[in-house]
Amino acid sequence: MKLLHKSNWNIAWLVWMGALSLLIVAGLYAALLVFSKGLVVTNLSDRVPWGLWITIDLSSIAVSAGAFSLCAAVYLLGLKRFQPVARTATFIGLIGYTMALFSLLLDIGRPDRFWHAIVFWNKHSLLWEVTMCVTLYLAVLVFECMPIFARFEWLNRRFPALTAKMDGFHRFAPILAVVGLGLSMLHQSSLGAIYGVLKARPYWFRPDISVLFIISAVAAGMSLTVFASMLASRLTKKVNIDDSLLERLTFFIGWILVVYLYFRFWDALTMTYTYEPGRTEGLNLLTQGTLSFNFWIGEILLGLVVPILLLLNKKTRAIPFWRMLALALVVGGLVAYRWDTNLSGLLIVLSYLPGDLAVAYTNYHPSLIEIVSGMGILAFGFLAFSLGVRYLEVVNHQKAMDHAQEKLITEPAATD
Amino acid sequence: MNESKLNRRDFLKLSAIGAAVIGGLKVIQYASASEAEAGLHQLAMVIDQGKCTGCGYCTLACRAHNDVPPDISWNEVSPAGQVGEKPVFIARPCMQCAKAPCVEVCPVQASTYRPDGIVMMDYDRCIGCRYCEVACPYSARSFNWETFDGPNPAVPEWGEPEVPRRPRGVVEKCCFCYHRIDRGLSLGMRPGIDPKATPACVNVCPTGARIFGDINDPESTVSQILRKRPSLRLREDLATFPRVYYLPPVTEA
Repeated sequence: MKLLHKSNWNIAWLVWMGALSLLIVAGLYAALLVFSKGLVVTNLSDRVPWGLWITIDLSSIAVSAGAFSLCAAVYLLGLKRFQPVARTATFIGLIGYTMALFSLLLDIGRPDRFWHAIVFWNKHSLLWEVTMCVTLYLAVLVFECMPIFARFEWLNRRFPALTAKMDGFHRFAPILAVVGLGLSMLHQSSLGAIYGVLKARPYWFRPDISVLFIISAVAAGMSLTVFASMLASRLTKKVNIDDSLLERLTFFIGWILVVYLYFRFWDALTMTYTYEPGRTEGLNLLTQGTLSFNFWIGEILLGLVVPILLLLNKKTRAIPFWRMLALALVVGGLVAYRWDTNLSGLLIVLSYLPGDLAVAYTNYHPSLIEIVSGMGILAFGFLAFSLGVRYLEVVNHQKAMDHAQEKLITEPAATD
Repeated sequence: MNESKLNRRDFLKLSAIGAAVIGGLKVIQYASASEAEAGLHQLAMVIDQGKCTGCGYCTLACRAHNDVPPDISWNEVSPAGQVGEKPVFIARPCMQCAKAPCVEVCPVQASTYRPDGIVMMDYDRCIGCRYCEVACPYSARSFNWETFDGPNPAVPEWGEPEVPRRPRGVVEKCCFCYHRIDRGLSLGMRPGIDPKATPACVNVCPTGARIFGDINDPESTVSQILRKRPSLRLREDLATFPRVYYLPPVTEA
């Protein structure tokens, strides 16, 4: 591994931070425009009311799925050795859900009423269920991340008693893992069901979307965790990774992708048999229409087939470059799937005239303001992870974290 | 020993009382729910496509009375082919479905059923997530993408606003001019008969293509027409049970 010279590294770090800050400032400005002028500044319409921001929201929640799956693996299946990886995943999860929250605040027409779902319950609504689960799970993630924040050196020096308390949350990790698993299983699939229950949109109206959403989320969530760990290890010395752990995990990801491809195949195939107004057009949009590049190249070839081959083949999996490429492709494929799912239903306009099967297509391209504010949200995610790597040691497989934390509880002032 | 026996008896007693209370509450809940479902009035609208000329007066009167911005139509009139030589139109208010997808999906219960069947919108509660818009099979809902603060071009020619303007960022739709119905009923008038208790679009229609009334009342005009003539509702295959009925155009004999 080639690491940059220390002074060069510092400059690179500053440039990286500066670039991200610029993107965040631009994003904040765009968000300000959205809040002051209203959603008229977007290219969303009554025909296509959900677009880029919903994709960011769905994708960032999905790539956070590494947190619940790895925590469940460590604390419920007893795969203790993956604990340091679960730690990274939990931190990424907290960032991902925060990003989702930001994009939702932009997307709803009345961000000042974001709390209404918590007070006014419509238990019949999947969106209500998702809102409640996401809110509760965000709280779980905050608790799960307490021991991570306790690693912050400055805080540790100033308030050792506080960090010791924060570190103590590690004791609740198994309970939090159970709660997190339940909440995540619910809302990760319900996010798909939000689309799947709508009778009025024949392309979406099927039970499979929720299943596909959770399987793809688990694969991409773990992929992002492993990818981010490996990338961090190539860029900074602050990171220690245990490659054999990550290698095992990527092998497993390869098999999840196979399962996902299997479901995806049957899901798509059953839709090809008969003509169903709206549904057939939705599928055509994916296989031959405006979304076909996204579908065939982004989702199927690069998002599934190539990563499966690279990850299940021992030779390519062992080479960090190919492994990282495959993992990045999985994440890209997931984003493409979320984008395509949202649009393939919305771009089809079904007539309500009696006896008229006329189906029309509409179009959507995000506006500059949508893109800039979306980039700001992404930049926030990168910034938070970079800071976590540098100051909170979120990627550290070398130390037995359990042991280190127990020591911290008994000797609050101890730092290394 | 004695103590534990007493405890057991107490426990059983308490359980019995608890069960009775829960059962009683359920009965009360049931009774009130069924009363609410039935309602005193069940409002419905009949639109005669044979009479509709597509003039669009209904859309304009609706805009004025409900202070709807010019780029939104709660009540859209669009061409729907032709019968013989005559062009046919379809006017589409909110269908006020009995099983409304919008009510089912709203995360904050901003859309609700009224006992008389009107699907209501609570504009103070709506968070603007637009899930209802995505769920509605009739495109009957519109989002306020920007603030409507200019003068309403439909006012005063087509009527005066009777309800407050909706704020930016909420979804809005036709509610069968519930404010006219409620005020009319409180003054002893009958919806569908007295114009002041009837939706603006029904009153303004120059050809009398719209008929409004209570289908719980077998003597009302809507009940009589629906008994006499074949009618249809939009997207009946979706089982949303709309309260808007269409009389299909008949070829002139």
